[in-house]
Amino acid sequence: MANPIVHIANLNLQYAGTTVLCDLNWRIYPGEHWIIGGKSGSGKSSLAKAMVKQEKASGEIIFRFDQSNPMLAQAYYVANWYQFANLEGDRNFYYQQRYNKQQRNDTLTVYADLIHFGKKQQLDFRDAEPILEALGFGNCRETQLIELSSGEHKKLQLVQALWLRPQLLILDEPYTGLDKRSRENFNSLLDDMANAGTTLVLISNDRNIPDAINRFAHIENGQLHAVSHLDEIKQDEQRQRKPFPYFLQQAPLVDHDTMVELRNVSVRYGEKEVLKNISWQVKAGEKWLLQGPNGSGKSTLLSLLNGDHPQAYATDIFLFGKKRGSGESIWDIKQKIGIISPELHWYFDKNATVWHAIASGFYDSVGWFIQVKYEEKKQIEQLLDFFDLLQDKDKLLHTLPLGKQRLALLARTIIKNPQLLILDEPCQGLDRSQTAHFNAVLDELSGYGKTLIYVGHYESQLPACLDNRLVLEKGEVVISERREKNSIAG
Amino acid sequence: MANYFNTLPLREQLEQLSHAEFMETAEFADGVNALKGKKIVIVGAGAQGLNQGLNLRDSGLDISYALRKEAIEQKRDSWKNATDNNFTVGTYDELIPTADLVINLTPDKQHTAVINAVMPLMKQGAALSYSHGFNIVEEGMQIRKDITVLMVAPKCPGSEVRAEYLRGFGVPTLIAVHPENDPEGKGWPYAKAYCVGTGGHHAGVLKSSFVAEVKSDLMGEQTILCGLLQTGSILSFDKMVEKGIDAGYASKLVQYGVEVITEALKHGGVSGMLDRLSNPAKIKAFQISEELKDIMRPLFQKHQDDIMSGEFSKTMMEDWANGDVNLLKWRAETGETAFEKTPAGDVKIGDQEYFDNYLLMVAFVRAGVELAFETMVEAGIKPESAYYESLHETPLIANTIARKKLFEMNRVISDTAEYGCYLFDQACKPLLADFMKKVDTDLVGKNFNEGKDGSVDNVQLVQVNEILRSHPVEIVGVKLRKAMTAMKAIKTA
Repeated sequence: MANPIVHIANLNLQYAGTTVLCDLNWRIYPGEHWIIGGKSGSGKSSLAKAMVKQEKASGEIIFRFDQSNPMLAQAYYVANWYQFANLEGDRNFYYQQRYNKQQRNDTLTVYADLIHFGKKQQLDFRDAEPILEALGFGNCRETQLIELSSGEHKKLQLVQALWLRPQLLILDEPYTGLDKRSRENFNSLLDDMANAGTTLVLISNDRNIPDAINRFAHIENGQLHAVSHLDEIKQDEQRQRKPFPYFLQQAPLVDHDTMVELRNVSVRYGEKEVLKNISWQVKAGEKWLLQGPNGSGKSTLLSLLNGDHPQAYATDIFLFGKKRGSGESIWDIKQKIGIISPELHWYFDKNATVWHAIASGFYDSVGWFIQVKYEEKKQIEQLLDFFDLLQDKDKLLHTLPLGKQRLALLARTIIKNPQLLILDEPCQGLDRSQTAHFNAVLDELSGYGKTLIYVGHYESQLPACLDNRLVLEKGEVVISERREKNSIAG
Repeated sequence: MANYFNTLPLREQLEQLSHAEFMETAEFADGVNALKGKKIVIVGAGAQGLNQGLNLRDSGLDISYALRKEAIEQKRDSWKNATDNNFTVGTYDELIPTADLVINLTPDKQHTAVINAVMPLMKQGAALSYSHGFNIVEEGMQIRKDITVLMVAPKCPGSEVRAEYLRGFGVPTLIAVHPENDPEGKGWPYAKAYCVGTGGHHAGVLKSSFVAEVKSDLMGEQTILCGLLQTGSILSFDKMVEKGIDAGYASKLVQYGVEVITEALKHGGVSGMLDRLSNPAKIKAFQISEELKDIMRPLFQKHQDDIMSGEFSKTMMEDWANGDVNLLKWRAETGETAFEKTPAGDVKIGDQEYFDNYLLMVAFVRAGVELAFETMVEAGIKPESAYYESLHETPLIANTIARKKLFEMNRVISDTAEYGCYLFDQACKPLLADFMKKVDTDLVGKNFNEGKDGSVDNVQLVQVNEILRSHPVEIVGVKLRKAMTAMKAIKTA
């Protein structure tokens, strides 16, 4: 047998005092393309980071790159979490910032960022063009990094990796937030690269993976276990269903039968029209699915509803029966809405504990609250218990596995039993069993007289309760319809 | 126009200087109601103007922007800022006559011209707001007697005012009403409502006066905040290079060190900052900062005296009239220092290393904060005001140095601060010449603890801790920081 490309022996890694990887051994031979799945928090990301020296570990990690291979002799890691800086090296962003229009030149444009990357890695920009096209990213060139949606950020990371063409490519949850078409194209680009000489390591619990993947594994007790089929990868156990806390079994008091009404609303930045003549009504009790490709305007639309968008003024938007800009404050609006989005998560206060994060949901702040009342403390405890987070309540939110962070933020979203729930890709970062669990929870919750707007890309992973559907494309409504429950449409 | 402060009798000067009352949350229970439905027109759409306007509108208030005709016709940045965010924008002539409250958020230097243009257009009984009292106090601008004059001054850059608001917090804010211009008694309700509209009430509000704000603000910015950080940074860098420390390392240590060190100051005060050092290092830092205080005290006093007498603003306004000759010359010189021209090296410096290898800056910061505070309080300024204008703001300015060194700091701060900073720096360097001759790399550039066993005299340590913790800036600091419930990392790179 040929020499392994990757040779890992006796790898040990500790994180905050607990053992994550314990004498892990792994060899990757030419022609192998691996997927690593398995439970959240089992050490998948830690292993990947240790391989590229982003995480400190002891043991042996040897790469044997092939000098005759046309691909770059390098191991390249695409993290599941990105962080960009503005021109001054600053990372103090807040999630609404991309809607504020004064910091125009605060971050690089996509084009400038790619040029910068290309220069550093000595790449020819012409090679990037087809990748940008395939991922539907061509029209984002002049967009500033701060203005990108979460799916678009993910694409930017992937474009760089595909453009670089490394001999070893490690992808950590690359599908997060990608729309359906981009995802298919991305997989076929990965297959092309695998054929050309790249070894793939994919960390994911997804089912739709590149054809090239031929080895399967999960991590258990700090060690890597190869299995013979995708189905044998260990998933999180089905969670035990607990009854909903009583306070969430109550229907919220509703101010007005029409919660949201938009009449011919447009949003434009200079020449760029982000939303065109949107008219839309959300009535109390309805459960909407909002769909559209990355960059179609979904996040902008939701930001109009949540009081996060400065252009919501001087337009025909009615929220809870009141016209926007008629003397209400954004805190009056937010008080009626529970929201979760990938952006809110990314920019969440790094000093917040799980308990603080949930408590802040009462005040619509990010990790800070004034004085939590006794009754509210009890509700927090009940939700912590409901989401199996009791033992994590005093830990810093951002130190938990991604899946648990999401659950904590979901708890924050529903803690005040709001009139309107806005769930923008709430399952992003959750694996399949967590998603299934969450959707079941949502289906039950929605039975208690809730109103919600749900953004999700994959039909197979949607809650059953969604009864209406709005589809955006290039800022316009292309479909607005009642939806057959449980339908699995395109 | 005569300097307003100098026209007052001593008892009135003392009375106005002593305004500093930390406001209870309950005082803001009325929210923005006092301004609800009122027409608010902001003049100027720069960083403060635009961001405060966004916050006020998001709080349910009616905001529009008055800009000069040329700014609108030429579609300047201020015009774009306001229109891109769907604000109503108009000329002074169009909007000022309709305003119940005019908020002046233009740079200090333009105040006289702006007020002269705006005041004749204001309707009877309207209100006018400033975010800095220089125009009223130092330039002696007289406002029509029917107009209410107030001040709301967030103690952070405009971008922070917005960021913290959207996170559900706010930034510490100073509010005031000018006693000469409160004909209807609506000054305080307006100032409080405005402050709530920006989110300031979440982070601690100080009830101040135009006089107290100006005299303490000028003192803080030219001594500890900008002047001393500039002097200390340049001297530290030059010393390291002289002693053979790698210039790239020295540049990085100085550029980022001051931010890391003052971050500890923000959370734990002066004693919290010194607690980051080992015991022997703490005693050393204490000793040299005592020495620094003795050396620099006369200079701090001179600055305070010139500010109180109006001498400082007189000299500076002469430079304004002279086309900023001195300011521009000094600014160019700052851009040419070796520290400024040496890029930060590509070395990793850990959090603790910034303390262990940059003990000199810890001593500079302690000396500067305590001196500025003591000098202000001796001059009749209340400890609360003195705290805001010394300790509280130091980390914010340090952050600008971390971004792009001193040139950036001087670009970001007001012209007034910049002018005073250069005056201080030029006088302070020669004053410290002898002191710096004794400084070696154990204080700056290398780890002070190296080769030491960590033992100290217990009695000495107890005494040092006692002196640090019982300083008045620490006493008032503990109280104020507790009240700033939303205190969190303001900026971390």
